[in-house]
Amino acid sequence: MSSGVKIENQVENGKDTSARKQGYKFVYTIGPYISLIVLFIVWIIASGKNVKTFPTPWIVIQKIASLLVNPLSGATLIGHMLVSMRRVFVALFFAIVIGVPFGILVGWNRAFRATLGALFECIRPIPVLAWIPLIIMWFGIGENAKIIMIFIGSVMPIVVNSYTGIKLVASLYLDVGKMFNASTQGQLLKNIVLPAALPTIFAGIRNATSVAWMVVLASEMLAAKSGLGFLINRGMEVFDISLVMAGMIAIAVAGAFLSWIISFIERKVCPWNRGIMSE
Amino acid sequence: MEPGNHVRVKVDNVSKSFVGINGTAEQVIKNVSFDVYDNEFLVLLGPGRCGKSVLLNMIAGLMGTDEGQILLDGVPVTKPNPEMGMVFQRTGTLPWLTVMDNVRFGPRMRGVPKEEQIKKARHYIDLVNLHGFEKHYPYQLSGGMKQRVGIARAYANDPKILIMDEPFGALDAQTRYNMENEILTIAEGEKRTILFVTNNIEEALLLGDRIVLFTACPAQVKQIYTVSLPKPRDTMQEEFLRLRKAISDNTDLAL
Amino acid sequence: MKKDESNIKYVFLTIVTFIIFFLTWQLLAEFDIVGKYMPSPVDVFRAFVFKLSNIGPDGSLLSTNILTSLKVSLLGFSVAVVIGIPLGLFMGWYRLFDRIVKTLFELIRPIPAVAWIPLMIVWVGVGLTAKALIIFFAAFVPCVINSYTGIRQTNPALINVAKTYGASNFYTFLHVGVPSAIPMIFAGMRVALSTSWGTLVAAEMLAASSGLGYMISMARSFGRADVVVLGMVVIGALGYIFTLLFSKIESVINKGGTV
Repeated sequence: MSSGVKIENQVENGKDTSARKQGYKFVYTIGPYISLIVLFIVWIIASGKNVKTFPTPWIVIQKIASLLVNPLSGATLIGHMLVSMRRVFVALFFAIVIGVPFGILVGWNRAFRATLGALFECIRPIPVLAWIPLIIMWFGIGENAKIIMIFIGSVMPIVVNSYTGIKLVASLYLDVGKMFNASTQGQLLKNIVLPAALPTIFAGIRNATSVAWMVVLASEMLAAKSGLGFLINRGMEVFDISLVMAGMIAIAVAGAFLSWIISFIERKVCPWNRGIMSE
Repeated sequence: MEPGNHVRVKVDNVSKSFVGINGTAEQVIKNVSFDVYDNEFLVLLGPGRCGKSVLLNMIAGLMGTDEGQILLDGVPVTKPNPEMGMVFQRTGTLPWLTVMDNVRFGPRMRGVPKEEQIKKARHYIDLVNLHGFEKHYPYQLSGGMKQRVGIARAYANDPKILIMDEPFGALDAQTRYNMENEILTIAEGEKRTILFVTNNIEEALLLGDRIVLFTACPAQVKQIYTVSLPKPRDTMQEEFLRLRKAISDNTDLAL
Repeated sequence: MKKDESNIKYVFLTIVTFIIFFLTWQLLAEFDIVGKYMPSPVDVFRAFVFKLSNIGPDGSLLSTNILTSLKVSLLGFSVAVVIGIPLGLFMGWYRLFDRIVKTLFELIRPIPAVAWIPLMIVWVGVGLTAKALIIFFAAFVPCVINSYTGIRQTNPALINVAKTYGASNFYTFLHVGVPSAIPMIFAGMRVALSTSWGTLVAAEMLAASSGLGYMISMARSFGRADVVVLGMVVIGALGYIFTLLFSKIESVINKGGTV
C-alpha cells in the first residue's frame, strides 16, 4: 500500500519535474533577452518622468546614429573612440616596454629589489588618479601629459605582476633548466624564468589595460578636445544627456573591444596556457 | 647480466641535514656509501619519502652534501651536472614547450646544431612511443605520456648517467606497469648507467640489476641486493618471490 | 650565519637608497631644477604640520578632509560589498539567474567608474550620494567577479556529499558553496577596497567642500604643490594601511589560506 503511494508520488513528481524542466529550458534560452527587455522597459518608464535628464532609448540610438555620421568637434563617434584607444595603446606600449623589464629585474636580482624595488613599493600605494593634479602642474594637460598619466596607471600592475611572476616560478623548472645545460643566469632567465612567468605577466597587462581605459577617460574629462571622455563631459556641460549616454555606450563597446584584443594576443603568445584560454 | 666492475659514481660516506620548522636540525641521510657501476640499472629502494630524493639531488649536483662526497668518474660533483640526465618525480616537462621542444631542450642549450637536435629528439620520441605527438603541449598529454617526454628528454641529452626520481610514482597502477616494461625495453636497447629511485619493492625487483635498500629516516644503507634474474622478469617466479619476501621483511615500516 | 649577514647588507642598501632618494629630491627642489612646482620633502612636511591646524587653501583641516574621504569611500565600498557579493554568489550558483543577469552585468562591466560621473551629477547632484555611487561602481565589479568565480570553483565532490545526505539546493549553497568561496570573496574585497580608495580623488573632484581629493584639486588651482604632494602621500599611506589592516583581518577569518 505504502509502496504504491510512493510510486504514484514518484510518477507524479517525475512528470512534474519534466514539465518544470521544459519551462526551465525555455526561460534559460530566452534569459538574456528577458533582462534586456526589462532594462528597456525600466528605461522607458524612467524617461517618462523627465526626458531631458533621462532620454529614452530611441533618442540615444538616434544620437549614436547621428554621431556616427556627423562629426562633433572634428571627429565622428568612431573617430573619438580611436583617439581614446590610440592614447591607451601608446601609453601601454611604454608601460610594457619599461614595466616588464623593470619587474623582471626586481624579481630576479636582489640588489635591484633592495634599491629601486623598495622605492617602487613606496610609491605604489598612491592611486593613479591622485597623480593627475601634480602631472597637470608639471606638464599641463596636453597630449603628453595624458600619456604620462595613463602610463603611471598602467605601469603599476605590469611591474607588480612581472615581479610576482618571476618570484613564483617553480623551483622544479629551475632544476630542469640547470640539469639540461642552461648553465648561465641569462640562459635560465630566457628559457625558463620568462616563459614560466609569461601568463602572470599577461594577467598584469590585462589589469593595466582596464586601468588605462579608466585613466584615459578621466584625463579627457578634465581637458580635451577629442576622445570619449571629452564627449561625455561635453554632454554634461551642454546638458545633452543623450550625448552622455551615447558616449557611455561607446565607452562600453571600446572597453570590451580592448579586453578582447588583449585576450587575443594572449592566446597567440601563450598557446600552452589552457587555464587562461578557457577564461 | 654481470655489471661491469668499472665504478662510475662513488657515493662516499654522505650525510645531510635540514633545519626543521622548530629550528632543530633533522638528519635525513646518514653515512651513506655505495658505488654505481658502468651500465648497471641500480635501484635505490626505501620506505616513505625520506632522504632518497635528496640523495639523488645531491648526485645530480642540485644540492651540496654536508659531509662526505660524491664522485662522477673520479671527479667530485659540485654543481648541476648536465652529464647526468634527470627524469623528475612529477611533471618536469616544461608547459610552454611542445613535446619536440621539450625533448631537444638539452641539446639546444648545449648549442648543438638545430638539425642534429631535431634528429636526436625524433629518435627518442619514437623510442618512447610518442610518434605523432611532437607538436602537442604537455597539457594535452596524459600523466604517462608526460613522463615519457621526461624520459626521452633525459636520453636526448646524451647523459653519462640517467637519474630517475620515482618517475612513475604519480601514475595509476596500469600505466605504471606499462611504463615499467617500456623503460626496460628502452634500457636494454640503449645501454646506460641508470639510477632509479622507488618505494615499490616489485618495481625495484622488476628493473634493478642491484638494489640498494635504505632504512627510514635518516636514510642509511641497510643492505645491497644483487638480482641476477634475467629480464624481463616474471613476478610469479620462485626466486623473484623469495627476494621479494626477503626485502619486504627487511624493510622498515613507512610512517 | 652567512644568510643573516647578506640580509643586513640588503637592508643597508635599502636605507642608503632612501637617503639618496630624499637628498636628490631635496636638492632638485631647493635649486628649482625641475621647475617651481617641485616641493621638497621638507616643504611637504611643513605643509603637513601647517594643515594640522590651518584650513587653507582648501577650507578644511587635514583631519576633516581625511574623515570626509573615509566616510565617502567606506560608504561606497560597503554598499558594493552588500550588493555585489550576494549577487556574484547567486549568479555563480544558480545557472538560470546567471543567464538572466549576466547580460546586464557584462553591459556595465567595461564602463569605468569615472565615466559615470557626468550621469551621476545630472541624476543625483553632487552630494555624498553621487560620490558614494561612483565609488560603488568602482568596487562593485571586483566584488561580483570574485565571489562568482569563487563559488564556481566549489569542489563538486563536496556538493555531491551534501546532496547525498539529502541537503536541499539552497542549504548546499549556504553551507558548502558560500564557505568554499570565502577566500575568493576576500580577495575580491581586497581589490574592491583599493579601487574604491583609488577612485576617491575622481569622485571628490566633482564638486565637494572637503575631502582629500578636493584638497588636492584645490591646492592645484592655488598653485600649492606642497599641499598636492602632501595629499598624495596621505592618500597613499592611508591606502597602504587599509590593505595591511584588511590582510590582517583576512588571515584571521580565512584560515584556509588566501588567494
